[in-house]
Amino acid sequence: MSLQSTLERLATYRANNMRASQDIFRNGLLVLQKSSFKQLGDDGNHCGVPAGWTSLEQFALASIDVGRLDIADQCLQLIADKFPNSPRVDCLIGIRMEATEPPETALKYYADILEADSANVAIWKRRISVLRRTGKIEKAVNELVQLLDTFYTDVEGWLELADIYALCNQYDHSFQALSHVLLLMPQNPFYVLQAAETAYTSEDFSLAIKMFLTVVDMTDADDSEQLLQDSTPLGITVRAWFGVKLCTRRIAQNVNLRSLSNTSAPKNSELLDELATERLRVAYSSLGQKGEIAKGRQEVFAWVATPLA
Amino acid sequence: MDRLSLYLDPQIRDWVLFPITLVMILVGILRHYVVILLQSPPKKLSRAATREQRALTRSQILRATSSNSPIPPSFYKAISQHLSEAYKAGTYLKDGPPKADAPSSAPNPLSDPAAMDGMMAGMKTQMVMMVPQMVIMGWINFFFQGFVLIKLPFPLTLGFKSMLQRGIDTPDMDVRWVSSLSWYFLNFFGLNGLYRLILGGDNSADSSRDMTTSPFAAMGNAQPGQPQDFNKLFKAERDNLEFAEGLHSWVGENMDTKILRKYGKLAAL
Repeated sequence: MSLQSTLERLATYRANNMRASQDIFRNGLLVLQKSSFKQLGDDGNHCGVPAGWTSLEQFALASIDVGRLDIADQCLQLIADKFPNSPRVDCLIGIRMEATEPPETALKYYADILEADSANVAIWKRRISVLRRTGKIEKAVNELVQLLDTFYTDVEGWLELADIYALCNQYDHSFQALSHVLLLMPQNPFYVLQAAETAYTSEDFSLAIKMFLTVVDMTDADDSEQLLQDSTPLGITVRAWFGVKLCTRRIAQNVNLRSLSNTSAPKNSELLDELATERLRVAYSSLGQKGEIAKGRQEVFAWVATPLA
Repeated sequence: MDRLSLYLDPQIRDWVLFPITLVMILVGILRHYVVILLQSPPKKLSRAATREQRALTRSQILRATSSNSPIPPSFYKAISQHLSEAYKAGTYLKDGPPKADAPSSAPNPLSDPAAMDGMMAGMKTQMVMMVPQMVIMGWINFFFQGFVLIKLPFPLTLGFKSMLQRGIDTPDMDVRWVSSLSWYFLNFFGLNGLYRLILGGDNSADSSRDMTTSPFAAMGNAQPGQPQDFNKLFKAERDNLEFAEGLHSWVGENMDTKILRKYGKLAAL
């Protein structure tokens, strides 16, 4: 593989924010054999920061990830020499520290930086992640809430908060965090699905079914020429239909629904159940992209056929 | 009259024309590097200040989707009312909630050290621009006043006389002769292209651009670091929030019937 294509591959990983550490590490070693990143650094200017240096940063992170700390140290040395006093380098050094030092040392390091520059988001987030990893969940949540109070638009942070709450069985809180994610990214159906599943887990079925149906509405093939009834649900839509089916069952079971969010129960619950059953049958009957019928067809058919209640 | 021509000493070319041009180019380049040296890194905001600055975006994001909101009414109301309360109480203000008896005046930019720093930075670059230009102009005026430096190779109309023969009051001289002071101004306005070639696109060597902005214009409203009265902004935002709350409708509210209609289970309206 030529140098150019290797670098492009690395750039793609960077652009898509993928953590393919093994592959990045292998490719990075290839680049190192052919020339040094340092030479690359200064040609191929990209948005002010030469592309070579960003590749080197990526390579350093990947080598920490795969455990080749000797190579990571070399990279960090190069970067630190080139950019002294850079907050980004501070963050890299912190990550390197987390790899070998005890968490207390890393926390101390982060605390020192935050004292000098209290609004350094990258460092603040690293600190929260260390707190969470070492089991200080309460402290992590407090810090995270503070961070989100300052930097409201941080979707990643809200998702992390929702995740922490969900792990502690605080599904109502988790849903509240997710509702902020929805406000920030209303166009992403995956977040709506996550919110729907959280609502289902917290037994707020009226809310959950409406959110599942929103996912269906967002993702079904209604922009194609085909009639909707003939289209096959794919991917995330199938999962949403499963959710709808689950909800209609639970709604049929409990007559008096508890809904914390005061969501009105869906009308025509039986019709919805019928529709979900039908869509799931279609999804598992048609030939998929590989040209074969999905596995587990019998089980799904048996499951959807079991009568309500 | 036309046949009467001046003879220019080649020494004038070597010792006046070229030096003026060279000095102006070198001063421009020097100025570029001095400005780079003078630039102070942007001041880091403290956590509280960042929070204050970003507090308004929270309600803006909430309001942006309110007529087609992705979140159910009870959650929307909770967030909206929480924000409204916080704006009213001044929770987001950098220095904490205001005291009841404190005078509510807009912060004075001259008393805030952070604002002063921003102003000083602007003044410094302005000084770096003004001083060398004044020195060069004085130099030309003192030594070469009334010099004719160059003859343009093309004829021009009389309208260009004041542009090309500044400093020489001879009504009859051909417009094609350029005086020393005019040569200075031609360089002053025309060297930007050359600087761009030598120093790259966003150089700060060109001084004619700075002439158009006075150092005191930056003190007006447009300055980004200008202190704002966030308390007032927050109070105004509360009305917007209330208005948006009235408009709120959840996307998922009638999603059940909508989907049933979409898939033909219920008769379409």
